[in-house]
Amino acid sequence: MLNISQLLDEIKASPYREIVVVAPHTGKITFAEIAPGDRVHGPQGQWKELPGDRLATLERERNPKPVCAPENGEISLVHKELNGCFVEAGTPLVVLRHMLTRDEVQRTILQKTLHLFLAPERAKYYFTPEADKKIRSSDAHSVTVRDGMELFIMSRMKREVPLHYTGPDGVIYEVYFKYNENLDAGAPLIGVCPQAHLHVIHDMIIRVQTEWTET
Amino acid sequence: MSTTQSDDTLRKHKILVANRGEIAIRIMRACKKLGIPYTAVYTAEDAASGHVRLARAEGGEKSLFRVSSYHDANELMCVADDASCTAVHPGYGFFAEDFRFARRVAKRDRKMIFIGPSWKIIRELGDKINTKRLARSLEVPTVPGSDRPIYDEMEAERIAKTIFEFQQQQGIRHPLVLVKASAGGGGMGIEEVYDPDQFRSVYRRVRNYALRQFKDEGVLIEQRIMDFNHLEVQIVSDRTGKNPVHFGTRNCSIQSTGLQKRIEVAPGFTPEVINYSFDAQKVLDDIVAYSLKMARSVGYDNVGTWEWIVTRQGAPYLMEVNTRIQVENGVSARIAKIRGQDGVDLIAEQIRTGLGEHLGYTQDDISFEGVSIEYRLIAEDPENNFTPWVGQIECFEWEKAPWLTMLTHVPERLPYEIPTEFDPNLALAIVYGKDIRQTRERGIAFLDSLCLTGKDNRGNGLKSNEAFLKANTERILHF
Amino acid sequence: MDNSIEKRLHNLRERLSYITDVFAGKHSDSTVMLEERLTFFAGRAMSGASENAYAELATVEDLFAHVERRLDKTLSPMDKVRIVRHPQRFCLRDILENVYDNFTEVGGQDEHSLDPGMLIARAVITRSRGKKKYMQSIMVIGQEKGHGAEYRNGGSVKPWGNAKALQYMNVAETEGIPIHTYIFTPGSYPVEDYPGAAQQIAKNIYNMAGLSVPIVAVVSEGGSGGAEAIGLADKRLMLSHGYYSVISPEGAAAIEGRLKNGERASPELIEHCAAHLKIQAEDNLRFGYVDKIIQEPPLGARPWHFDFFRSLRQDVIRATDEVVISTRKMPVLRGLALARHRNPETDIDGLYIRWGLSGAAKARLVHRRQQKFLRLSRQAARDRRPFLTKTATTFLDWISKPWVSFKYDFYHKHQRQISTLMEEINNEIDMIKYRLLSPWRKLRCRLPGRQDDKAQELTTLSTWEESGRSRKWNYLSPRYKIDRTLTCPNSESYGCLDLWGPDLFAEFAGVCSHCGYHFPMEPEWYVHNVFDAGSIIEFNSEIEAGNPLDFPDFSDKITAAKEKARAKSGCMTFEARIDNIKMVVAMLMGTFRGGSVGAAEGYKFVEAAARAAKKRYPFLAYVHGTAGIRIQEGTHGVIQMPRCTVAVRRYIEAGGLYMVLYDTNSFAGPVASFLGCSPYQFAVRSSNIGFAGPGVIKETTGMDIPPKYHRSYRALSRGHIQGIWDRRQIRPNIKQALLTIGGRNLYYR
Repeated sequence: MLNISQLLDEIKASPYREIVVVAPHTGKITFAEIAPGDRVHGPQGQWKELPGDRLATLERERNPKPVCAPENGEISLVHKELNGCFVEAGTPLVVLRHMLTRDEVQRTILQKTLHLFLAPERAKYYFTPEADKKIRSSDAHSVTVRDGMELFIMSRMKREVPLHYTGPDGVIYEVYFKYNENLDAGAPLIGVCPQAHLHVIHDMIIRVQTEWTET
Repeated sequence: MSTTQSDDTLRKHKILVANRGEIAIRIMRACKKLGIPYTAVYTAEDAASGHVRLARAEGGEKSLFRVSSYHDANELMCVADDASCTAVHPGYGFFAEDFRFARRVAKRDRKMIFIGPSWKIIRELGDKINTKRLARSLEVPTVPGSDRPIYDEMEAERIAKTIFEFQQQQGIRHPLVLVKASAGGGGMGIEEVYDPDQFRSVYRRVRNYALRQFKDEGVLIEQRIMDFNHLEVQIVSDRTGKNPVHFGTRNCSIQSTGLQKRIEVAPGFTPEVINYSFDAQKVLDDIVAYSLKMARSVGYDNVGTWEWIVTRQGAPYLMEVNTRIQVENGVSARIAKIRGQDGVDLIAEQIRTGLGEHLGYTQDDISFEGVSIEYRLIAEDPENNFTPWVGQIECFEWEKAPWLTMLTHVPERLPYEIPTEFDPNLALAIVYGKDIRQTRERGIAFLDSLCLTGKDNRGNGLKSNEAFLKANTERILHF
Repeated sequence: MDNSIEKRLHNLRERLSYITDVFAGKHSDSTVMLEERLTFFAGRAMSGASENAYAELATVEDLFAHVERRLDKTLSPMDKVRIVRHPQRFCLRDILENVYDNFTEVGGQDEHSLDPGMLIARAVITRSRGKKKYMQSIMVIGQEKGHGAEYRNGGSVKPWGNAKALQYMNVAETEGIPIHTYIFTPGSYPVEDYPGAAQQIAKNIYNMAGLSVPIVAVVSEGGSGGAEAIGLADKRLMLSHGYYSVISPEGAAAIEGRLKNGERASPELIEHCAAHLKIQAEDNLRFGYVDKIIQEPPLGARPWHFDFFRSLRQDVIRATDEVVISTRKMPVLRGLALARHRNPETDIDGLYIRWGLSGAAKARLVHRRQQKFLRLSRQAARDRRPFLTKTATTFLDWISKPWVSFKYDFYHKHQRQISTLMEEINNEIDMIKYRLLSPWRKLRCRLPGRQDDKAQELTTLSTWEESGRSRKWNYLSPRYKIDRTLTCPNSESYGCLDLWGPDLFAEFAGVCSHCGYHFPMEPEWYVHNVFDAGSIIEFNSEIEAGNPLDFPDFSDKITAAKEKARAKSGCMTFEARIDNIKMVVAMLMGTFRGGSVGAAEGYKFVEAAARAAKKRYPFLAYVHGTAGIRIQEGTHGVIQMPRCTVAVRRYIEAGGLYMVLYDTNSFAGPVASFLGCSPYQFAVRSSNIGFAGPGVIKETTGMDIPPKYHRSYRALSRGHIQGIWDRRQIRPNIKQALLTIGGRNLYYR
């Protein structure tokens, strides 16, 4: 069994994470009225339906798009010298100092508790259409996996191959990859929790929720 | 070839190289040859590719941009504007045959030149039914079967029956009929029928699939041709569209199990050396004449390839038209001479004519000599369904020779991680000889000298199609 | 101190707090004065200083009554809103106890009910004629506010509460007893859980439009959709201190002030809206939307106003009697009976009218009710059709009626027999021809040259009239001319790349090529791309939206909307064809003030339904978008809900095929009535369908709603709509739906 207290203490020792916000694509960048030291909010609302604070606007082909804060945090650096310039995709724009939220701490600890199914190759991963439909219509928790079940599509070199899940039976508790994102070999794809262990996980979550205070 | 008077107008242009890897390198080299500045793009995964190094080393101001994806036209347009490009070369793949992209390049507020056929031609010839009907209207032979989507079950059955009977008349022992969704593409919604009684159920299955998938229940019904060679005719024309010329034929019959080309040979057949069961020279002459006839008829205005299948009986059928420069254009260029001069560069010709220059020569000025083959070197496992191999290349070396052209974006003798996002092509090796025997020998010699090693993340050695290429070298041009 | 004095003192204190609440700070001099007098008397009474406590108390009570009468004259519309919402106001249970002679609740008890906000009871009244006593049963249905009891939800009824009401209306119909409905609702509870707020209200209205028992409605608080759910009645009575409105004044203020999430409207703005929405009883009587006002005591009736309940009893019984009498066939007897009943001196309890109706009377009842609603609100739309046109239309209607009925009722019936005969004759002729020609055919088959035919057919160009494929759009959104890109709203989850405007708005028909998200298109796009080119014949385009309430600043807004949308109202009605199938279409245009429905739109909709019925065409309601009822038209707008539903019901019952297609955003009143009642409703992808928008839901229920709450897919899963179509497939889908649902001749079931 995992020592949650010890894990929590470890995380408490360094509760910050640095987030570099980069330009998602090329275009002309205009920064919002932000300066180092400002506090900004990430997506809010019960379903995270409200976007985070606008950090900058990136305009490409007459289509201005907001670049929003991905998480709560304090701005530690703004590349103001780029204001009004054309930037390439991936150019660093803003650096945020982000204090880990309950959810993130929970996720960190979950990663150590759940059975992780890892990416076997560097590739893009998708759920099979059936699983994808289920996950989109409700959430990942509704999908039960079995050993040997065809669960993913691995896409690389323009070829798509099915990938079978191996590991204990259970429900998908966490999904660690995003659409169209390249994953390195060994990166976790999903965290699976056997049905019988769900209560352990819930206890753990309650502990994190009570012991971790968010500022 | 390039007429010197207009070099200045060419130099006022700047070309966006909207592609990656080997073809990007070839485009940049052609630009350099013509004295045209260029801008290249790359993605984060592709930063180590040879085309990035070349652009960094040789490109001028604003000649290299990192973009989020090669597939995002918006990125390309945005970069082109910032770099003040006046034309876009799409290479092959990506946007090469996307008429919408070509249309956008030509119709946006800051207009540019799309180096390729005009968008209307891409659209017209990109539609297989349209191409087939166009061919038939010009009496160019096409695969026997329907040339329009069939919606009516009775009619479909009647056509299928006719195709079966037609094949029996021709003495085909096991006649086959192909039913495919007319709105489909890429091999989806295609089924074979070997028994007339089975037709109705297959037809209904394909029709329902088409309705679900493409919202159109039309199907095409064709003869399935089993035993054939895959030939191509290289066409080049300028913006007038009036005087297309051909740069000979190619034979691309050696393919992987997934019907991907692995070896291409120019010319298409060598009747003077090899015996064929049909009049090969006539076939070559015919398909060239047919291709030119169609090109002239549509006013084809850039480079393109007419793809043919030739049956064992020597009947050619037009398959499709590729409205782009092809990977294997180098083999045709290698055996061609313009006014007796070799060193033909079809990509340079494409750019030059694409930007509006006249061709400057006629078919009579073009001659052919020798045989050239192109190997596609790929990290893959031919034993295992040609599965791509992923990992790091540690050594990539070969013996240089005057008869060998190596086109690659993979660095020599430097470790190189194969990006997983793109085609697994590593290099194109073009071998030239004065006749087929010499070319074959040189090809084998090249493959023998090749050193290609690497390791994947589990420590397994690199797998390549070297042995497959070698084994098939013997077979080339035989039918 | 005497117990009864204590009781009366308590009553006075209640009255005082009631006055204070109702006037919300106004008339403080009066309240202060009353309070002083009350405290003074209470002090004296307590200490026993008062010699004649009863006399003094009576004086105080008189003073209260005097002040109440005086203040009653100053009541503003907003004060009345506060009156009807006050916990001290009488409730439906008070009515059941004081107006009816006995009752049994059948819709649940207190909080143990499917929806405690909706109260249903079987009640009886006893009347006597001479010595004979008569018991008459009534189904009483209405919202129960429960004097502010929280579980009653202020009379805001949930969808299942309205479903319960409908169920018992049908019970009443089976039993043949009249229905009394009492409307005490600020509005329906706007949740989309099954059966869905809008969908259920639409069902209720549709059913009430054809219910074959007398219905009498009494309005205290008539809040829009919630009121209409039980409000389509033969007689609509309104309490003098009630209000009947398209929207709560707060809601109107939020819309007028363009308030965003969470902001509160200022009290002044709310007062302003209440004043201009014309929500009071006199206004509605003048417009004709209620038939009679029931006078309440000063400052509104409370449970101890027993006189009021007596008069209410007289009024509802009289109204029921009148409805019954008006279904009688003999005009003379009917007139006499009505005159006697309308005489206010008559003691209704001393009369007896049987409430059961004969079959023919039932038909007359329903017909009268439908006609009544169809007649309403015509004056509120501006009919700019020239006099000659109008006369000509009426004349043509009159002329063509016999021809149409000949064509459809006689000719079509017999046509089938004729064509069957013709077919048989043809068969015989073909058979003879075949026999005669067979020797010649055999000869031809043996001739050479037949083989080449196959090669010929398989390898040469066939003839093909290119139809559906690579079809070009007849109309392109003007946005295609702008060189810019747009981001698909789904790009986050589906990874869609930005779309180039000229592609998106022309070739792609506004559909994201990656995920299929539908960007909104102009109404013109549908008009020109769905129907056969050149087949559109618009009619009634001269009926104009106006500003019937003279709502401040609204005339300019309407004029601006007319210019912007280049239309005279938010509803375009036209005849059109798809592959030569003719139909009548009413299109609500989201580009005209959000597609809101007012008197003009309703008028055109009703006319379109009538035209479809007359011409025996299918009737398609294409909802490009609708934000609901146009609030600035007040009850002129809200009355379109029952009115248009009646029109649709008449069309459907005459055998018509009524189909609805929703696009973009369709909300509130129209969905909860004449659109939602169609048996065949479809939606275009990426559309939203619902009762109230997220802001209103948050405001009224305090709930945050999930981001995809109103997506058409949820409406499909809930059973509200029958299918979701791709925009590019609307044309073939409509055609298929017409052919499969409408059958051979597209009209008759």
